[in-house]
Amino acid sequence: MVMAPKLLLSVDIGSTYTKGGLFALEGEELRLVGREVVPTTVDHLGRGFTQVREAVLSRHANGGHNTNSPFSGTKVTCPALSIPVYWSSSARGGLKIAAVGLTPDLTLSVARMAATSAGGKVVRAYSYELAPEDLEDLRAVEPDIILFTGGTDGGNSRVVLHNAARLAELVSPAIILYAGNRKVRDQVVDILRGREVATAANVMPEVGTIDIEPARDIIRHVFLDSIVDGKGLSSVVAEAGREPLPTPLAVFELVRTIAERVPGWGDFAVIDMGGATTDFYSHTKSFHGGDAIILRGLLEPTLKRTVEGDLGLRVSAEALFRSEASFLEGRLREAGTDLALLKGYVEEVSRRTEYLPGDDRGRRFDRLLAAACVRAAALRHAGIFQRVFTPQGGFLVQRGKDLRQVSRLVGSGGYLAGETSPDILLEACAPGADDPDTRHLVPEAPACYADVEYLIPLLGNLAADFPGAAARAAVAGLKPLGPHTN
Amino acid sequence: MDVPRIVLGVIGADCHSVGNKILDAYFTEAGFHVVNLGVMASQDEFLDAAVESNAGAILVSSLYGHGLIDCEGLRQKAIERGLDKILLYVGGNLVVGKTPFAEIEKKFKDMGFDRVFSPHDDLTEAVKLLRQDLEDRKR
Ligand code: B12
Repeated sequence: MVMAPKLLLSVDIGSTYTKGGLFALEGEELRLVGREVVPTTVDHLGRGFTQVREAVLSRHANGGHNTNSPFSGTKVTCPALSIPVYWSSSARGGLKIAAVGLTPDLTLSVARMAATSAGGKVVRAYSYELAPEDLEDLRAVEPDIILFTGGTDGGNSRVVLHNAARLAELVSPAIILYAGNRKVRDQVVDILRGREVATAANVMPEVGTIDIEPARDIIRHVFLDSIVDGKGLSSVVAEAGREPLPTPLAVFELVRTIAERVPGWGDFAVIDMGGATTDFYSHTKSFHGGDAIILRGLLEPTLKRTVEGDLGLRVSAEALFRSEASFLEGRLREAGTDLALLKGYVEEVSRRTEYLPGDDRGRRFDRLLAAACVRAAALRHAGIFQRVFTPQGGFLVQRGKDLRQVSRLVGSGGYLAGETSPDILLEACAPGADDPDTRHLVPEAPACYADVEYLIPLLGNLAADFPGAAARAAVAGLKPLGPHTN
Repeated sequence: MDVPRIVLGVIGADCHSVGNKILDAYFTEAGFHVVNLGVMASQDEFLDAAVESNAGAILVSSLYGHGLIDCEGLRQKAIERGLDKILLYVGGNLVVGKTPFAEIEKKFKDMGFDRVFSPHDDLTEAVKLLRQDLEDRKR
């Protein structure tokens, strides 16, 4: 007997587009059988979701012909109501997290890591004692979650208790997640009584030891329990019969799954560049040791995500123009173009966030901005070697994560998905600063790929239930770019 | 009673690691909770570790002859970071050339170190002094 393949629908509600993909599960493999994109319906996210869902399904029912425009609103009675729907959302800026830590380089830095790898966006970060003005500021940014850390287990409690008392005064609906010194956990919960509080294991139980998984897990649950409702997603939960993942978390989990399941993909990175942010995901061992190499600072995790809020092609174009000014200026000088022209372009596109360039000049400027985003995101994600001289010769001190073994680089998100050459992605291998004693540990000569069908978040949604199939389908769906790739 | 916490490390660009491992084992055995930063630790790393772990003392080693320069300002920085009461110990090869030890010891004490050790000092003695000093600080 031949069984009809099982169908699965995956939808990602992004800040600009809502994408849907229909997949057939054939034996152990997933195959894309149809996909649709509609503009995200910001006033009511559920509408875009329904549009995409119906468009994909009706096209499928009609043997691939789209007789039913997604915008017509005509209901299709699809035979497929039983098709399981998986979905994610990054709409309305995603999950906003404020991080509170003790010292900037230890607990605060680990708290940031926990927040970003849970798919959140760090909107504020505070170290040492919270001041009254910090509370004002915190109220104003309206975080969804305050990730409250500080102290090793049995370590500092003075500042932690002080901050707990401050946070108790804060007027904000944010959920407070305490993941600091375990010794005063009960006291902290007590001080915050009456507030919505969750607790997780200390993100840094001992100096230099990172334990972010428990906090990550709680952040994910908090997202499901309370964020969904506030963002008008509850109707989608009802329709899909399943809760969503934050998009970056879906991608994070897919990167993990690919690295673990697809031979040859143990060391790779994904760059997801959009209008507002550039996300960098890497899976590779952070520190390789060696006789004359000493690691200072935190040992970073094998799977890491960073989000750069000032690197983006539209909403963040002006911030990008400011933070990458010297790089942009250098490139323009080579091309014999005036910086003022780019400045004008940046001002325009940061207001018209849907703008797509219609002429050569616009396309050239977009390429330049994209190059700046990729380069800066890679330099910030990667660690450094610094040469220390002794009479015996050199020692190398490593800080941060070593990406040199990253052998594959995947471009995702609107701009990079459409790339046909590896040039922009290879900006991630830029040597960075000219200081001869500092070396940035960026990828060396990776093969480059484009996520042409925007499958990464869609398959990320399926990664928990169908890990092997989702990982293989994601890799199979990538388009190799340029001569390096095989 | 809480196990007393101490931060240990070799300061500056110094990569002599043998003594550091011995000190870690010795003080752990003697009942301290040792936060060991290993070699090539910066002043900030010592202080961050002490703040986060609420340590009572920082034990700095310097073997390669640049101890005075590397340790300069540590006390002031500790005060700035709210570690007003922390004990600062230093040891290793602090003497450069033929300078008498007493002279070096005075220099470190003037910089705010509580105790200064030569390579010939007995570690049992150091443990005893540390216990005593930590007790005194509590009062
Ligand atoms: C092995 C060694 C090296 C090895 C280190 C390998 C390694 N991974 O550790 C290598 C070859 C890399 C090396 C390099 C250098 N070394 Co070297 N090295 C030595 C040597 C021979 C032994 C050090 C050792 O391991 N001792 C054994 C341990 C157990 O003892 P310790 O380190 O002194 O620690 C004990 C005590 O001092 C004390 N202690 C230490 N800190 C503290 C702190 C407190 C609070 C307390 C209570 C006690 C305490 O307790 C420890 C445990 O018992 C010494 C000479 C010597 N005999 O000491 C030179 C020596 C330390 N090196 C020296 C020098 C100059 C260097 C170099 C600059 C170049 C060179 N000329 O070799 C480089 C520096 C590199 C760098 N950036 O750090 C000089 C330092 C001179 C000075 N201080 O004025 C020494 C003294 C040799 C000499 N006489 O010239 N070295």
